[in-house]
Formats: sequence, C-alpha cells, structure tokens
Amino acid sequence: MGDIVQIYNDYKDHADFLTVYVREAHPTDEWQMKSNVKDDVCYAQPKTLEQRVAIAQDFTKHYKFPLPFGIDDMGNAADGAYAAWPERLYVIDETGHVAYRGGMGPFNYKPAEVRDWLAAKYGAVKHEAPAAAAASSTANPTTPAAASASAPDKATAPTQASSTK
Amino acid sequence: MKRLLKWIGGALAVLLLAAFGVLCYMAGSPRDAYGMVRYALPHMHRGTLRVGSDAPDARLLALDGTTRFHIRERLGARPLVLVFGSFT
Repeated sequence: MGDIVQIYNDYKDHADFLTVYVREAHPTDEWQMKSNVKDDVCYAQPKTLEQRVAIAQDFTKHYKFPLPFGIDDMGNAADGAYAAWPERLYVIDETGHVAYRGGMGPFNYKPAEVRDWLAAKYGAVKHEAPAAAAASSTANPTTPAAASASAPDKATAPTQASSTK
Repeated sequence: MKRLLKWIGGALAVLLLAAFGVLCYMAGSPRDAYGMVRYALPHMHRGTLRVGSDAPDARLLALDGTTRFHIRERLGARPLVLVFGSFT
C-alpha cells in the first residue's frame, strides 16, 4: 500500500488517481488469512453497501490513505468490468483507453509497473516519503499486495530527495 | 483386470496427494490451499480488457456514503491510475 501512496505523492501533479474498494479478499467468513488475525484486520464479507462504506472508512482512517476513493456497488459492477478482485492496477489514458493493465493480485500486483509507465511519460519522480505513508508501508504487512509488492520496491528503489528528470 | 484398476486407482490417489501437498506448500497451509482453489483459481483468467480497450464505466459510491459518481467522470486531460483492492 505504501508503494501506491508513494507513487501518488510522486505523480499526483501529472496523473489522476482513484482507488476503488471492491469486495473483501480475505473476510472472516471466507478465506481468512492468519496475518489478518494477527494484525486484527478482521471483517466479514459485507452484505450491504453501508457495511462496505464502513470498512472503506476504517481502511482510509487506519492508513491515512490520501488517494481519492470510490466504493463498488453490491452488484460488483466495477469488479466485473475490470476483473478487479482481489486487487489490480490499471492506467487509463487521456482518450479513455486502457494504457496499462496489471495482473491479478497478489502475485501479479506490481505498483512498480505503474511507476514505470508514469516515469516513461513524465520522467522519474521520487519525493521523500511522507511520515504517514512510510509508516503505513511498514505497518501493513497484512495486505497481500503490500506484502508481495512493496518489499522488492523497498529493496531496489531507495528514496531520493525530489529528483525529477 | 481388477488388479490393474487397483494400481491405477492407487497411482491417481498418490498423484492427487502429491498435488495437494505441493499446493499446501505453495499456499502455506492446507487451509490456504483450499482457499486458493475455492476463491482464487476461478478468478485467475477473468476479464477481457486489454491495452487499447475502451475503459469500462461503473458507478461508485464516495466515502461519505451518499455521493455517487462514475469512473469515467474522472477521465480527463490526464491519465487515470485505478487502484482496485480491499482492506483484507
């Protein structure tokens, strides 16, 4: 999650961002992960839109998540249209066409590929990580995307102070 | 003939057990192996969108729980990065 926040902070002057909350990946009544129990991120699969809103609010509050946010409806229209569950990344270009389609998470959820796409268009940008984003990056090992995708980034992309190409 | 069937049945059982063992190893536990088969595998090749496809629209609810908007409303003069996910 920290990776996406960092990309947002780096490229929000060039691109728009929208996070879409889709149905839970590892709710307590389906395929719950031990790591979620350990970190007390335990939710049943929402049965109503109000429940989805409540979880989404918990999420954004917990991680001080700065990206614009939308919640998929109970018919899972956005999930269906974008094959989004459990997590996936896209870039839509200015003409309304898919410019980048990420793989299905967690194993093929790769924020670094979004960064590469943006860097190819706008040049490499890497601001100093804000304290909240840095904290959320390390405090969110439960999210499969964060666990699988953030570690390689941290290893290969040391933070540089505001270097814009 | 009966003996041959027994051998085939035994070999299949061993193969299934081996496959389940590998899946458990990959997933981390028998429970996660089940979860992978039950919840993840059916989604592995879902979706027909490709690079160049028209971005589909969908109506979303804002965090305030009342305002509704469409994904395509967010398209404009700049690229739009879409991040799909959930809390767990």
